[in-house]
Amino acid sequence: MRYEFQILVAGLVVAGLLLASAGATAWWAASVQKGVLQQSHADQVRAAGSVLAQSAEVLLADNELSSVRRMLIALARERGLQRCRIVLPDGNVVADATPSSITLRELPAQWSGAATVVDADAQGSAHVFPITVPGRGNARLEITAEAEIPAGAYWPLQAGLGGISIVALIAMMILYRHATSSLGGVLAIRQALLSRQGGQASLEALEVSPDLGPEAQAWNSLLAEQEREHKQSALQKTTETVTSHRGSSDRLSIACDVLSQGLILLGKDLRAEYVNGAAAALLQTKREDMISAEVSTFIKDERVLAACRASTAGPMPRRMIVEVERCDGEATTLLRFIVRPVRREDIGAAMIIVEDITQQRVAEESRHAFVAQATHELRTPLTNIRLYAEMALDEGKNDPTVVGNCLNVINQEVFRLDRIVGDILSIAEIEAGTLSLKKNDVRLDEVFPELQADYGAQAAEKQLKLTFNLPPKLPVIRADRDKFRLALHNLLGNAMKYTPPGGQVTVTVTVDQGRLVIDVADTGIGMNEEDRQRAFEKFYRAKDDRIATIKGSGLGLAIAREVIRLHGGDVVVQSELNKGSTFTIGLPLTEATT
Amino acid sequence: MPLTETKCGAVYVLRPEGPLKGPEAQQFRDRLVQIINASLGRCVVDASAIQFVDSKGLEAMADAADELAQTGQSLRLCGTTETVRQVLEVTELAARFELFADVNTAVRSFL
Repeated sequence: MRYEFQILVAGLVVAGLLLASAGATAWWAASVQKGVLQQSHADQVRAAGSVLAQSAEVLLADNELSSVRRMLIALARERGLQRCRIVLPDGNVVADATPSSITLRELPAQWSGAATVVDADAQGSAHVFPITVPGRGNARLEITAEAEIPAGAYWPLQAGLGGISIVALIAMMILYRHATSSLGGVLAIRQALLSRQGGQASLEALEVSPDLGPEAQAWNSLLAEQEREHKQSALQKTTETVTSHRGSSDRLSIACDVLSQGLILLGKDLRAEYVNGAAAALLQTKREDMISAEVSTFIKDERVLAACRASTAGPMPRRMIVEVERCDGEATTLLRFIVRPVRREDIGAAMIIVEDITQQRVAEESRHAFVAQATHELRTPLTNIRLYAEMALDEGKNDPTVVGNCLNVINQEVFRLDRIVGDILSIAEIEAGTLSLKKNDVRLDEVFPELQADYGAQAAEKQLKLTFNLPPKLPVIRADRDKFRLALHNLLGNAMKYTPPGGQVTVTVTVDQGRLVIDVADTGIGMNEEDRQRAFEKFYRAKDDRIATIKGSGLGLAIAREVIRLHGGDVVVQSELNKGSTFTIGLPLTEATT
Repeated sequence: MPLTETKCGAVYVLRPEGPLKGPEAQQFRDRLVQIINASLGRCVVDASAIQFVDSKGLEAMADAADELAQTGQSLRLCGTTETVRQVLEVTELAARFELFADVNTAVRSFL
């Protein structure tokens, strides 16, 4: 990385400068120290020489030559002198720090000559002190100090400077590291900015290493934020563009997915270009398996395939409708395929619309059966009325009794016709969903006595034992009085009708846990399992031969159950062939009822 | 939990009896999805015998509704008790179902 190299170079330059400065400082300090030490040493040597010269004058006067020699040796050793001796004017050495250099062992009694004094400055480190020995003559003390200060004299200075330099270097390295991290981030950001100005727009190229410190991380965050905003903006623009150009197409696709009819768009090669969710469900396959697959892989019916092929082979003038029955286990499904040609060649060749019409077909058949049954039920009393009317007209002229009998039958058939028409109307209302309730307070303690009165005579006539097991206090319920009574009449009427003479019909009313339960039990002919399951179907009558002579429309139970269901309850039946049936009304008691 | 299945024409009516809760809700859900797949969605849930429903029960019904929504249909509930209706409204799930007063009305909606 370029900025890392720059930092390295800068760091090395700074370190070099610092080291050079430290070195120069050390050299200068050493030089000064050396001068001072040399000067001090010379002063000390000079002072010692002066004292020694004075002492030597006294000692030599007393001929204490050996003492002088010892002093010289001691001084030379103490001061580290290179040479220390006493020389007579004739050049003889009488005392020396180095005893071997002595040339005159005994001090003469007298000698002549003046002491030669050499200029100390001219000799550098050499010093000469004149000695005047009283009564004997002149001499001179020569002292030559060491030219150089020993290396050990500078070690504290050198150690101090070295230590300071090392500490400074360590501190500099720490500072360098710290500076590198922050300065590296700044330099990297600078380089990224320059790259950006140069036209570089890639996020990867502009990002810097997050290890370079918080500045680098902040820069990366800024770039990421900018990139996010850029992408969001681009996405928004794209969305706007797509919405403006293809919005209608997408919306159409979404709309197709919420259709309960299946839609399949076929291309010219008979492969599915678009399939909605309902189509996949109706054809019991996966949507992804259908896309791009040939139509014959998911539609097996040859008529539908032929219609598709006809559509792709050339212009098909009209739509083709094919109804296909499919057996899935016990369930039978009826699917309607509508194949329509697609005119725009760039979209596809055909559109297949798939509908599940099973329930419509069942309802249609049910309506047909209803009309047939209703017609049959209406025709039977009408036929009786017509026949008895004709009989009254033909034979009534001579026999008034016949007229009376005929009118009686006609009257009964009219009542029957009225009841059938009423039942059919109720069923029609139930089917149309227009059967409405007019709820009022219904006093059950009035309803059941009325019921008992209505059926008491009939039970006695048919030799049936009719029993009402009623609780001491019957509630008042919110119900449609007429329709509730109609349901009770239908159940009780059935029980009376299908119980042979000598049998028993019991109505039991209980109120338990907020529910009103009315059981209508009989000891009649009962029902087998198939009849029991179909008992509430409209116009259904049991196949039992014993009821062939019993008149009935097959609507009573259907109406009773619908009425009770409209009241929020239900009617269930328990029955055993030849032993009897029990119809149970269960009705919730609301808070409004008491 | 007893599940009563009846057929009104080509429409299957599933009637759970008792509270729709806990592991029983899973049993209800499995059977409901099975019926939905077998009948191509011609299915009504008679909720008149469901006294209350817990979160598992709601999840089961919502799953079945989602299954049907993929084919452009919706789950038809009928005869819901006041308690169940309130739960559906409080949880804002009511909009995901089609509610009918009784079985016949729900079955007729397939016509």
